[in-house]
Amino acid sequence: MLVITCPYCQEAREEEEFSYAGEAYIARPAVPEEADDATWGDYVFHRKNPRGWHWEQWQHVAGCRKVFAVKRHTVTYEIAGSWTLADGKALYLKEQA
Amino acid sequence: MPKQGFQPFMESPLHHFKLDAEAQPRRADGRIWCNELPHLGYAVLRGDTAEAGFAQLVEQVTGLALPLKAGAVSQGPQGVLMWTSPDEWLLVSHRQRLADWTAQLDAGFAAQQLFAQTVDSSGGLTLAWLGGTQHITVLRHLGVYDFESIPLGHMVSTVLGKATVQVIRLDGDGVFVLFRRSFADYVWRLLRRAAQPYGFAVCQLEARSDHPLFAQLAAPQPLLVSA
Repeated sequence: MLVITCPYCQEAREEEEFSYAGEAYIARPAVPEEADDATWGDYVFHRKNPRGWHWEQWQHVAGCRKVFAVKRHTVTYEIAGSWTLADGKALYLKEQA
Repeated sequence: MPKQGFQPFMESPLHHFKLDAEAQPRRADGRIWCNELPHLGYAVLRGDTAEAGFAQLVEQVTGLALPLKAGAVSQGPQGVLMWTSPDEWLLVSHRQRLADWTAQLDAGFAAQQLFAQTVDSSGGLTLAWLGGTQHITVLRHLGVYDFESIPLGHMVSTVLGKATVQVIRLDGDGVFVLFRRSFADYVWRLLRRAAQPYGFAVCQLEARSDHPLFAQLAAPQPLLVSA
């Protein structure tokens, strides 16, 4: 069982209260009208699926029902932290840069 | 329409258990004491605390301060206002009073052009009181949360046997368990089963006027739904 801290409830809660909501920060094509099929295909279907640190979204369905960002290691299941989507995005972009 | 026509009436989701017939005065023994607080009014309040006038309007209409801290509960003789999410609160009061409040709030939101709303969900929720020396142990059997750590005047939203419930602690005497109407039968049986080893009894709930929730039982219940 994972113990996830909800940034809105500000408490560590059991995984049972949460629902996984996929990879975080998938960038939608900036100009949708000009994006070709391959770009749309990548956007809709291709995921990073890394072995290591992974930015993902979790929803606190049994609590505040908010979606937030979690950085989790896919091998050790270690959780580096959890942030609101806005706060996490700044960290994520810094890491990616 | 003829007088004998369609006359809808309110029924508690636990009416088939006939709790009134089973209820007895509460005694200070080791048993788990429990009962439902039927037919209360519930409304979801949504809004943005950053918007000027929102919190003030809510306090002005309900007399309850908008709780801004996670899990905090505002209480007053007329009801409670609970934090359920950063932009969502739950108002619990007597049904008639709640209907007046939501009408006033909606009018206020419209007048001040606030991006906020109220949604009456009285038909969708119900509340049970759970008390007795072992009541925390009963909850521990069913859920993963550290129920003993809920501070006074706080609520926690979690799962009991997969069903989402809100556990509310107003004072040191027991907790209130808020659950959906559609899960009411399940949650009630769950609580009853978990409490069985300690002894389970249905208690008579007094309409205490000094209590934020029991006081809402005092006024006569509008059992007939106006058509």
